[in-house]
Amino acid sequence: MTDNAIVVEHVSKEFRLHKDRAHSLKELVTRRDRNSGADRFQALTDVSLEIPSGSMYALVGHNGSGKSTLLRCIASIYKPTSGSVRVDGRISTLLELGAGFHPDLTGRENIYMNATILGMGKKQIDRVYDEIVSFAGVEEFIDSPVKIYSSGMFVRLGFSVAVHVDPEILIIDEVIAVGDAEFQRKCFDHLYALRKKGVTIVLVTHGIGTVETMCDGAAWLDHGVLQMTGTGPEIATAYMDRVNAQERMQREEAEAAAALAAGVPVGATGSGGSAQIEDIRIDRVEFVDATGEASEFGVHQEPLTVRVHYDAIRPVPSPVFGIALFSSAHVHVTGTNTKIDGANLGTITGRGHVDFAIDSLPLTPGDYELTVAISDEYVQHNFDRRERAFHLAVRSGPRLAPEGLVDLRGRWSIGDDHPADAARKP
Amino acid sequence: MSTPAQVWSYRNLIANLAQRDLKARYKRSLLGWLWSLLNPAANLGIYTLVFGVFLKGSAPGMGDGQHPEGIFALYLFCGLVVWNLFSGTINISISSFQSAGQLLTRTYFPPECPMVAGLANVVLQALIEAGILMFFMIIVTNVAWTAMLIIPILALLACFAFGLGLVLAVLNVRYRDVAYLMGILLQVWFYATPIVYALDPIEGPARRVIDANPMTSFVYAMRQVAYSLDTPTLTNWVVMVVTAAVSLVGGWIIFGRLAPRVIEEL
Repeated sequence: MTDNAIVVEHVSKEFRLHKDRAHSLKELVTRRDRNSGADRFQALTDVSLEIPSGSMYALVGHNGSGKSTLLRCIASIYKPTSGSVRVDGRISTLLELGAGFHPDLTGRENIYMNATILGMGKKQIDRVYDEIVSFAGVEEFIDSPVKIYSSGMFVRLGFSVAVHVDPEILIIDEVIAVGDAEFQRKCFDHLYALRKKGVTIVLVTHGIGTVETMCDGAAWLDHGVLQMTGTGPEIATAYMDRVNAQERMQREEAEAAAALAAGVPVGATGSGGSAQIEDIRIDRVEFVDATGEASEFGVHQEPLTVRVHYDAIRPVPSPVFGIALFSSAHVHVTGTNTKIDGANLGTITGRGHVDFAIDSLPLTPGDYELTVAISDEYVQHNFDRRERAFHLAVRSGPRLAPEGLVDLRGRWSIGDDHPADAARKP
Repeated sequence: MSTPAQVWSYRNLIANLAQRDLKARYKRSLLGWLWSLLNPAANLGIYTLVFGVFLKGSAPGMGDGQHPEGIFALYLFCGLVVWNLFSGTINISISSFQSAGQLLTRTYFPPECPMVAGLANVVLQALIEAGILMFFMIIVTNVAWTAMLIIPILALLACFAFGLGLVLAVLNVRYRDVAYLMGILLQVWFYATPIVYALDPIEGPARRVIDANPMTSFVYAMRQVAYSLDTPTLTNWVVMVVTAAVSLVGGWIIFGRLAPRVIEEL
């Protein structure tokens, strides 16, 4: 039973670009003598992956990386140019908002329509009809044409139909993001329940948190080429590292260009030669223990201070300092900033440091990574951000550490609910 | 390419698609699907007036022998039922593929399904028209067992038209000219088929063109069984069966080959 639900073998997909193809007979005749070498677009190049049965699998990648094309190949909507896709099970797809809804028909009519497309008979639909409607929360509007639905209602109804048709494999493009937070949570709860029932779920997502915490496996595509496959957290980290690196590179390029334009020689502001014209940057980060000494590590249930040294070349009004902690398995443990904690630092300039003092370190022993960022007072612009750039080892202290990552430091006690019952006991 | 069996396994979907088209078409209209009868009725009226009254077109005597001078309107009606099924199938095939595009790029099902659904609607319409034709034939007491042959004739015609429709539908995705071109071509074809006129008085090269037109056979056969109360000739049957078979098989294969590629361009 540990079979693969989906096996993708060396799949390539090539599209002919619309602009090169004659769209009317006249164009067909007149372009006959010109080039026959058509413009082609390689959407997928030699992609191979296996998706185990009953797993939740994510495809990540930036826009246009071929994720949706791959989903369509798996759903056999597109035929691969070369390679093969083997699918074992009944597929239900939710590829776009309100796929296949006819605007003039009512919600009820569209439910029947859509569920039939996904392979259900009328009696089967009758059985789950009420569930579909109540899950989507559109009871009041079920007999109105769907064109009056809000986009949220549209996606809720679409999602609801797709998950209630009893699929063995569920393929979902980035559509859940359209719903509100509550519905998204409901969706993921439902997906989780489906996976427990053994449904294989393949989804495209930009929510790295989803990949990290919910997915058993993931694949990362870039320009149609498979970058890597692995567990959810592995892919999430690798992908985020790349995104951050690219962002930093772009920022540095932009800064260099801006510096050049402003007549400032590149590297004139010192610090490692890269152009640095942000108002403030992180100089270094250190950990300070109970005795006030710099330390390489923290101790469970002992005081620890995170000290962020900054260097502001211009006065910065009310900057926001933030930190975030990740476990070695890349779980986001916690994160906060001066704004969340209500600390206004006022205008700062020159060199200095900001301390984040923890009375009693609530982390269990292990390795952690620390992200530190300084942003403007609206937390819109990051002056400097070091993604998981600092390593924090937490060692055991005198107290016994609990399991997991966090020590809640709760107190246990006992009490009676029903004194009468207690009296009856022998 | 999808086999007929694969398409059949999606019959629920086909029924739903057909229903959806019907429902959506007459949503928010007062007369609803009565419109689907008013249109051919108006055509019948206009053609009777122009070709029967103004141009004094004449029809041959009816099969029952009670109307030796013929009834032009009913003679015309026989041809129109045939023609409406033919042109309706071609037009709906083109538009079905277009309107199903949304669905085809989001879920998988055989692309033949929306085409069959469209055909089903046109065939239903043709059966209603044929029923009305029979109603009038009964009123003028011009009926015989040959009227039963209307069913196989319309079935063969549907196959012939559907094969053409399949090919035109996929071509139309690449070359939008197809739909416009067919608009003109169908008009020419209409007058190249003896519908508003009787075949007998025509001679010369025009007659050769009309004889080469497969639609002539279908219209002739229809008039034989419903108006003249006679059976079509053997050659007539052969022409209808062969054109229907060639068109349907050829159209199905071409559609099956091209449709998956064309879907990506919808």
